Amino acid sequence: MNPLKISVTGVRGIVGKTLTPLLAVRFSEAFATYVGGGDVAVCRDTRPSGGMVSCAVTAGLLAAGARPVDLGVTPVPTMEHLVSRSGVRGGIAVSAGHNPPEWNALKFVGGDGIYLDQREGEELLDIFHLGKSTRAAWNRIPRVKTLPGAADAHLEKILASVDAALIRSARLKIAVDISGGACGGLVGRLLENLGCESVVLNGEPGRKMPSFPEPAPENMGLLETVVRAARADAGFMFDTGGERLGIVTDEGTALAENSTLLVCMLSALRRRPGPVVTNLSTTRAVEIVARGFGVPVFRVPTGQAHVSREAKKRCAAVAGEGSGGVVVPAVQWSQDSIASMALVLDFLAGGGEKLSTAARRLPRLAMRKTGIAMDFKNVHSAMERVRKRVEKGAKGARLDFTDGVRMDWKDSWAHVRASNTESLIRIIAEAETVERAAEISAWAEGLLR
Amino acid sequence: MSGKKRPKNARRKPRESPVKSLKIGISGVRGVVGDTLTPELLVSFAESFGTYTGSGRVVIGRDTRTSGEMVRYAVTAGLASAGCEALDLGVCPVPTVSLMVRRLEADGGIAITASHNPAEWNALKFFRADGCYLNSHQAQELLDIYHQGDYVRASAGKIRQPRAVSGATDVHADAIIARLGRLPRRWKPTAVIDCVNGAGSTMAAPFLEALGCAAIAIHDEPDGFFPRPPEPLPQNLEKLCAAVRNAGADVGFALDADADRLAIVDEKGRPIGEDFTLAFAVDHILRRTKGTVVVNLSTSHVLDAVAARHGCRLVKTKIGEINVVERMKAERAVIGGEGNGGVIYPEINFTRDAFAAMALTLHYLAQRRMKVSAAAAALPPFRMAKGAVPCPSRAARPLIEFLEKKYEKSEPDLTEGIKIHYGDSWALIRPSNTEPIVRVVTEARTESAAKKLNQRFMREIEEFIETTG
Repeated sequence: MNPLKISVTGVRGIVGKTLTPLLAVRFSEAFATYVGGGDVAVCRDTRPSGGMVSCAVTAGLLAAGARPVDLGVTPVPTMEHLVSRSGVRGGIAVSAGHNPPEWNALKFVGGDGIYLDQREGEELLDIFHLGKSTRAAWNRIPRVKTLPGAADAHLEKILASVDAALIRSARLKIAVDISGGACGGLVGRLLENLGCESVVLNGEPGRKMPSFPEPAPENMGLLETVVRAARADAGFMFDTGGERLGIVTDEGTALAENSTLLVCMLSALRRRPGPVVTNLSTTRAVEIVARGFGVPVFRVPTGQAHVSREAKKRCAAVAGEGSGGVVVPAVQWSQDSIASMALVLDFLAGGGEKLSTAARRLPRLAMRKTGIAMDFKNVHSAMERVRKRVEKGAKGARLDFTDGVRMDWKDSWAHVRASNTESLIRIIAEAETVERAAEISAWAEGLLR
Repeated sequence: MSGKKRPKNARRKPRESPVKSLKIGISGVRGVVGDTLTPELLVSFAESFGTYTGSGRVVIGRDTRTSGEMVRYAVTAGLASAGCEALDLGVCPVPTVSLMVRRLEADGGIAITASHNPAEWNALKFFRADGCYLNSHQAQELLDIYHQGDYVRASAGKIRQPRAVSGATDVHADAIIARLGRLPRRWKPTAVIDCVNGAGSTMAAPFLEALGCAAIAIHDEPDGFFPRPPEPLPQNLEKLCAAVRNAGADVGFALDADADRLAIVDEKGRPIGEDFTLAFAVDHILRRTKGTVVVNLSTSHVLDAVAARHGCRLVKTKIGEINVVERMKAERAVIGGEGNGGVIYPEINFTRDAFAAMALTLHYLAQRRMKVSAAAAALPPFRMAKGAVPCPSRAARPLIEFLEKKYEKSEPDLTEGIKIHYGDSWALIRPSNTEPIVRVVTEARTESAAKKLNQRFMREIEEFIETTG
């Protein structure tokens, strides 16, 4: 795997190898230049390299004349919420979310609190590659601003987005796995405010970050056990940055990552039916659930910025990705695992239905995800090959080339695309049975050869 | 420049080479912020130093320059990336950094300060584990690492979170007072201190009060906008002199931006000259402890006279603080320093320390029961004159060779540049390490004699440069 990825969504690399302080300085200078100075919020998750990288980011911003608003260890959505509702020009999140601890990343948020999209990201990259960042004169270098209470406004907004009184009266018992990440403080305060009894795993920041802080079922074994042992109403797992959420039912079963969006849809659409936005790689169960509420689904290319922007444009009731990242529009347009958890709690308190029952009602489709690692210089030519082959016909599929190659059949679909974050090609195939999904996936894999 | 027309036959000023706004050398890295001193450069230098210390513990302190925070963040990132434990002391005097390197058992230190350079400059200065600056060999090793670009990069498991350490200036103040004691109860002098809004700003008044003074601080807003040129030269101390007179104070002290050099103003509001700072300190120590004194070549011969009075040996070294410090260590000197107001008192730390110098001065005055003017008058009268001539670096060596030949008979000292003695008077001509100029320092029994001698050499040098082109 190529350990450095510079793309429109940010810079991601392995500390000690490719994600050097020099690179972080240069990107931050470019970002300060891109936003034209002013305040830039900086947050980080609990990775051991977080202090180093955020120092480099701060130095770069200062040198280019932007004032860093240092939020310290703070969930990414808290930073995005701050940016979206204040005069702050943008934000840099030092967080590699679900990546293993040796990784870190800079992710760039525009003045609207949403990640830069393709066009904006390319402008930033142009400044970076030109190496023509602004340099502030000695008497124009700002001072770093700290903002200790940034989480308060975010917490209030989340509390206002749900029926807090109803949740309090339900006296829920909740287990959470913080992954040693940045969400511990805010999640704890939220659960306390909502009158929930809580059991916390890996709550100590950074001390015991799991090797794979991705909220996927294979990483939620411990949380499943704890939910069962504590007889909790639900379990939630957070990634280190606070963007993705994994759910465990009251029976102690971890749901697949894409079910987070489905459960959030059940909660959000029940209160306010409205459009749903998701990306091209996410399960078709989204359409099935949406049909039950009579609302449309809009699909966009993969990438958080695309989902967020489309959701804003469509005034979506809920949006998100199959990875477990969900947008709760009542709070903000960026993915927010903490607001997502509140939305699920609202469902548990208000619907009189247990999570396990609700999960059983969700459409049962079989999804197969494959990642084919290849040398970074071959990724794009391989995609071109796939494209050429399917253009001649792909078993009668309806074709969509907005993001890689998406093929839709009546009972199934497959999506072949280059990863935004790693040097590999992802193949996602979904069908009604496991066998059929495997068959389509194998066929799609054949397109690469 | 005056508006007067230059007469045709006037001596043409030698063409200056463009002033370099970046200097990477054995005294560290120094540059203009917003121009050459970029965070990229700073990160790389900090990575080099982190590599040089073997990914050890490194203490960081900075003066009040507006760019200080930017530089500190860049340095911290570089150190952390190299696997160092970066400990940030915040804004503090340079001698505090030196002291804390040893107190915190660190493997090195970085002071972020361009000392007497104007506010748009900043610089990194590197300390070793013993609290001294790197010597020229060590600095060369660091430069080699920097130029090779092969820095240690700690993996995620080895990287350490940077930390802030508070209270460093208290530790420093306590160390000095513990060593020298408070002033005797019978004397509570009023001291005015001019901190040039620099690194000594917050520490100065409380320190003087703790020592037993009534303290009045001016220019103590630590914002990095220097209200006067930061070098504590007599012509820069008008405000301080006025404040001393207005307050009827016993003494005035002037710091530079990083608080390693000290100038003294007497009770009548007159600067007594930076040389006397060291002379007071040396006289005070030698009265109590006989031992060797180390100074540099351009230090006033007042020091020779003071050492001779006490029957003590005085050793002269090349210019550069580390040269004095290393010789002090080798000679087990009891005190040493530089004539520019830099006092090195090894009982506290092995670097120039304006705070130790203030305590030594006050104790000296208390013990001798003398006013500043009287104490200065009691020392042999020597007066210095300083000048500088623009000189392209390629002309520097031929110039020294030319002077060496010309003054062969007076057996010049060639330790650094050329030093020519005439009985009680002397002249030191030396190319600067940091700028394309030649410095001319002269000393004589009277001010006019010193000036005359200085002008003579300046003229000689100008002529030489002009003729060699």
